[in-house]
Amino acid sequence: MSTAPADVQKTVTDFLTSIEKLPEGFGTDTPLYADGAELDSLETAELSATLEDVHGSDPYSIGEMPQTLGEILAFYAGA
Amino acid sequence: MSTQPESVEPRIVIVTGGSRGLGAGIVESYLASGDRVAACARSVTPEVERWRAEHPDHFFFATADLSRSEDAKAFVDAVIERWDHVDVLINNAGVARDGILGLASDDDIDVVVDLNIKGTLYMSRLVSRRMLARRSGSIVNISSIVGRSGYRGLGVYSATKAALDGLTRSMARELGSRGITVNGIAPGYLRTEMSHGLDEGQMGQIERRTPAGRLGEPVDVARVCQFLTDPAGSYLTGQVIVVDGGLTS
Repeated sequence: MSTAPADVQKTVTDFLTSIEKLPEGFGTDTPLYADGAELDSLETAELSATLEDVHGSDPYSIGEMPQTLGEILAFYAGA
Repeated sequence: MSTQPESVEPRIVIVTGGSRGLGAGIVESYLASGDRVAACARSVTPEVERWRAEHPDHFFFATADLSRSEDAKAFVDAVIERWDHVDVLINNAGVARDGILGLASDDDIDVVVDLNIKGTLYMSRLVSRRMLARRSGSIVNISSIVGRSGYRGLGVYSATKAALDGLTRSMARELGSRGITVNGIAPGYLRTEMSHGLDEGQMGQIERRTPAGRLGEPVDVARVCQFLTDPAGSYLTGQVIVVDGGLTS
């Protein structure tokens, strides 16, 4: 799949939906961790693996720790 | 050896260090059960050539030095490219250098630690990520009874094998909630190249002290690999099974 913003956003929202952690009104500025989607470390690893699986790379694997969907989108925009 | 019914989809199995000795026995076992097997090692052996010829659709081999993370990644990427995912990882690759620790060189220590521990960590990291994305899979770490009992002249090797047992328990705790099992096998003394450092006297002594009355064969360990990676065994995780003919019982 491409790394177009809409595709990446779909991957993230599908993942959060699958683990029943999609916050109401989820958007590019919603925190992925505390006070947001509340991802724990294992769920973050799953998101990282899912992004790599679907889009061929992911920000976590190169040591980045994006805090929001917007930061994930920025990673792919700059890739 | 049990075989899968034909209707069951073949599993994708990675066996590290799968070109000779114990690893080769494990590869043979999974090929016999109809699975697809990807193996890696630092060199091609006659067994590898034979499997390539006999199982062109079910066997894949790549040379790799797993003490280098880039080699590990290239190998796993090649398996994913070929077969899409990984169901089973057997972390078998290992090396031993015997000698009293007080006389060991930095290189002696680095070679053993880099492959036995770091190589296993690299592979486990890469493959467990893939398993997390699918929420299923089985990992088996091959350690050794000397990681528990110790053995004169195998201090570094013993330390690395004890480390693998710790890794097994930690990964089982990390991944258990995601349907991924992680177990270990601690073999005793096998008739493989890894035991060539022992002289005939030592081998005879081990045989005499072993309740089963013989040294182990790779198939003895391969059977336990099959058991630990049976998809029906999802409640068995975090364990290290000693397969030593009763030697350390």
